[in-house]
Amino acid sequence: MQTALRGLFLLLLIVSLQAPGVIAADEPGESGSPIDVMGKILDHDYIEIAGKKVYLPRIFYSAGQFYFYSNTASALDSGEFEMSEAGIVRSDGTPVAIDFSITSHLMYVWFGIIFTLLISWWAARRYRKGVGSETEPKGVWQNLFEVFFIFIRDDIAKEYIPGEKYKKYVTYLFSVFMAIAFMNLFGLFPWGVSPTADLTVTATLAAITFFITQFSGTKDHWEHVFLFPGVHPLVRIILTPVEIIGLFTKPFALAIRLFANMLSGKIMIVCILGLIFIFTDLFGAAFGVTSGVVWVALTALLYILKAFIALLQAYIFTLLSAVFIGMAAEEHHHEEHESSVATATDVNV
Amino acid sequence: MGLLAAGLGAGIIAIGAGIGIGMIGKSATESIARQPEASGDIRGAMILTAAFIEGVALIGAIVCILLALQIGG
Repeated sequence: MQTALRGLFLLLLIVSLQAPGVIAADEPGESGSPIDVMGKILDHDYIEIAGKKVYLPRIFYSAGQFYFYSNTASALDSGEFEMSEAGIVRSDGTPVAIDFSITSHLMYVWFGIIFTLLISWWAARRYRKGVGSETEPKGVWQNLFEVFFIFIRDDIAKEYIPGEKYKKYVTYLFSVFMAIAFMNLFGLFPWGVSPTADLTVTATLAAITFFITQFSGTKDHWEHVFLFPGVHPLVRIILTPVEIIGLFTKPFALAIRLFANMLSGKIMIVCILGLIFIFTDLFGAAFGVTSGVVWVALTALLYILKAFIALLQAYIFTLLSAVFIGMAAEEHHHEEHESSVATATDVNV
Repeated sequence: MGLLAAGLGAGIIAIGAGIGIGMIGKSATESIARQPEASGDIRGAMILTAAFIEGVALIGAIVCILLALQIGG
């Protein structure tokens, strides 16, 4: 365990000292600023592997027909498409109905899902063989897996989803936790991108939680949304719209929270490293390079903070998903409550 | 004008969220000091409440970003 922790720490150290160089090695931005902040944040049509750009396929659906190209350049070469201000468009003016192109963020979402699947398969095979289920879990990785899994099952699912219902949701909560944690942590690696800093990715994840929440809603849940038992009918005019809006703001806040947290970390790191170049522009190369010592050290510290935030945000997303599902799946016992109130008033009368 | 509004908005959001999370932290540390054996439960509740406040603050922050970038008029 100790050697594994030491290795993990060393990896973090290497990564946190390596990645600033990678960010800094990028070409300057188009708007004349010395460092390209938006370029680090936006989605691209390529992924970078060790500094080399690997262009990803472009797929378009336009006027009832699919167009496949191995990359953007070949799509432009074919003459069917051309570049415009807003992105890629058809040359003859037909609108592109849906852009199915595979982008860097999508690739990293897939990596996150594949990693989660592989880990779950690997662990499931071991437990089926009897390691861990009959004997004690063996090895660092299985212990680590068990720590995460039991944490999510006992501290999140069991705690917030009432009764025996939690068993149904453990699989979703665990996979969403692992996938988000991987996606967040990918951003720490040199050339890596964290796809959770894209609103579409987090919105998709929040939408999954939204649908699971709605489909697991009990009668009591819907009763509490549309009619409020024991509330004056006129109050319902105010409360019902608020509750219906509340159904949608919950997943919305879920998406925005994850997105904004990951994006702010990314922007912060790029901006702090960008100070080197800004100072070089302002006061000359000597001052810029010397001050770089401070900024790189600060970035290395920020990386450790970001690694913590990556896990924390995955935890918060999972926790809130469990809370929302638990709120919907809860079964109230009004009858007892109301009857006790009734008897109390009877006594008073 | 949009930039000014965004800056002021971000400042007010920071004040509000800071007061909120500070109060959570205060009462959580006080509760842990009073009852150290319940620190696990208190920490869970603390993170949950802080996440809710953060959500509201971030929605405000998004509005400020939209104002600053002049998106949506």
